[in-house]
Amino acid sequence: MNRLQFLIGEAWASLTRHKGMTFATITTSAVALFLVGGLAYAYWRIDAYARSLPSRFEMRVFLRDGTTYDQVRETATAIRAIEGVDTVVHIPKDAAWQRFKRDLREAMPEDLGNPLPDAFKVILKDLEESRSVAASIKRLPAVAPNGVNYLSEEHELISHILRLLGWLGLGLFGTLVPTAGILIYIAIRLALHARRREIRIMSLVGATQSTILIPFLIEGTVQGAIGGALATPALYTVYRLFAATVEGLMATVDPSPFPLWPTLALLVVTGGAFGFVCSLVAARRPLREA
Amino acid sequence: MAEQKPESPYIVFDGVEVKFSDLVYGLRGVSLSIHRGDFVFFVGRTGAGKSTVLKLLSRQVRETAGKVWLNGRDLATVRDVPMLRREMGIVPQDFALLPSRKVWENVAYAMRAVGRSRAEVRRKVPDILERVQIGHRADAFPHELSGGEQQRVAIGRALINNPSLLLADEPTGNLDPQHSWEIMELLQLLNLRGTTVLVASHDTEVIRRTNRRVVTLENGHVIGDRSRFDDE
Repeated sequence: MNRLQFLIGEAWASLTRHKGMTFATITTSAVALFLVGGLAYAYWRIDAYARSLPSRFEMRVFLRDGTTYDQVRETATAIRAIEGVDTVVHIPKDAAWQRFKRDLREAMPEDLGNPLPDAFKVILKDLEESRSVAASIKRLPAVAPNGVNYLSEEHELISHILRLLGWLGLGLFGTLVPTAGILIYIAIRLALHARRREIRIMSLVGATQSTILIPFLIEGTVQGAIGGALATPALYTVYRLFAATVEGLMATVDPSPFPLWPTLALLVVTGGAFGFVCSLVAARRPLREA
Repeated sequence: MAEQKPESPYIVFDGVEVKFSDLVYGLRGVSLSIHRGDFVFFVGRTGAGKSTVLKLLSRQVRETAGKVWLNGRDLATVRDVPMLRREMGIVPQDFALLPSRKVWENVAYAMRAVGRSRAEVRRKVPDILERVQIGHRADAFPHELSGGEQQRVAIGRALINNPSLLLADEPTGNLDPQHSWEIMELLQLLNLRGTTVLVASHDTEVIRRTNRRVVTLENGHVIGDRSRFDDE
């Protein structure tokens, strides 16, 4: 307890001695964590959305109303025979309707009849074949006009966005994170210089290496953690603005809630760990030589 | 060298060499022994090797050849240097006081750094300050003290672990003759109470008046070892 009080006191003295440097370090860490964290969050949400869409290798084929069971079987056989098709799964209209009603049970009128047709889920072997496969299926007599749906363009768009976010994130990660790290490193080196007399005294009277080192590690960890804590409300504010814009444009869209506390915990822990590592790198060698 | 017996010297330097680079040596083949309770001056010009002798004992410098023994231990085998340093008090030439802390806080800070409780600090600091005769200035800041008083605080801080060995590197280097002599009287008083005192100094007047054992160094070699300054 005595040692802990001493170590925390030393860390506090170091943090408050160079207020300007401490401020710069915390704000840079906060900006880095806000941008990188925000991009990571956006990437995660878009990726989750992309995963909820049918696979790029998947097509939906809807049949005409009144198609008989034999026609369904013949159409399935014909689709399986097309070059580039891997598997064909029949989705009976009744099963589709039950599922649809289960998903939208609050919005469904009780007396509504089944408007859904029989359908197939067609999995392709090769994405390159999707256009020719779609054209072949469209020519089958039991297939409804415009009855072949696949999401190649949507997938391409999402892929582009994810790639862009990935590169943007990598670019920001490659510039801001090292900048924040260098600032923490400089702050710790400045603290080492400012406290060289205390370090010398501690060394002379036989204080352990850990007693001398730990206050600097606390300092770096606190700077990173505060940066993470500040980045969270900034991220939340941007999310709220974005969500309000989306809600204004599309009344039916209800954005899922922002995971505030998990984000806070993640950014504080990430910032703290980052600060710890940077301060360890900055302080370890000079103190070993002291 | 075999395990030392209890009556063996407290400190032994056995053919010690400290080589900083191919051309620069701190010590060259130094052999000497010091008994518990001795008071020894190490004298010589700047760069002669007197500070190196003290730094070898506090492990701020390592020997490149030979052996240094302290209280029967080969210091090359000591891994826990902080614990070793708690067995000795180190007095630097520049006092190394914290300017923003009062006299008692300077001593208290060092005690807290080695894990002493606040209660122990409150109990022991006044005793330590009285031992070095600076208790009356406990609430003064270092800049309000004379050089001699500042050195007393530095010596007091070196006593927090009740060391049996005191290493003082040019303790009078920044002081006028009057204050230098006061510090030497204090070191002699501590020596009378049983502390082994090693002093690196080139203050001839103080060494002459103190009239204790003098080891003379030149270019890293021991060129003289007199049991009293007056001895020839």
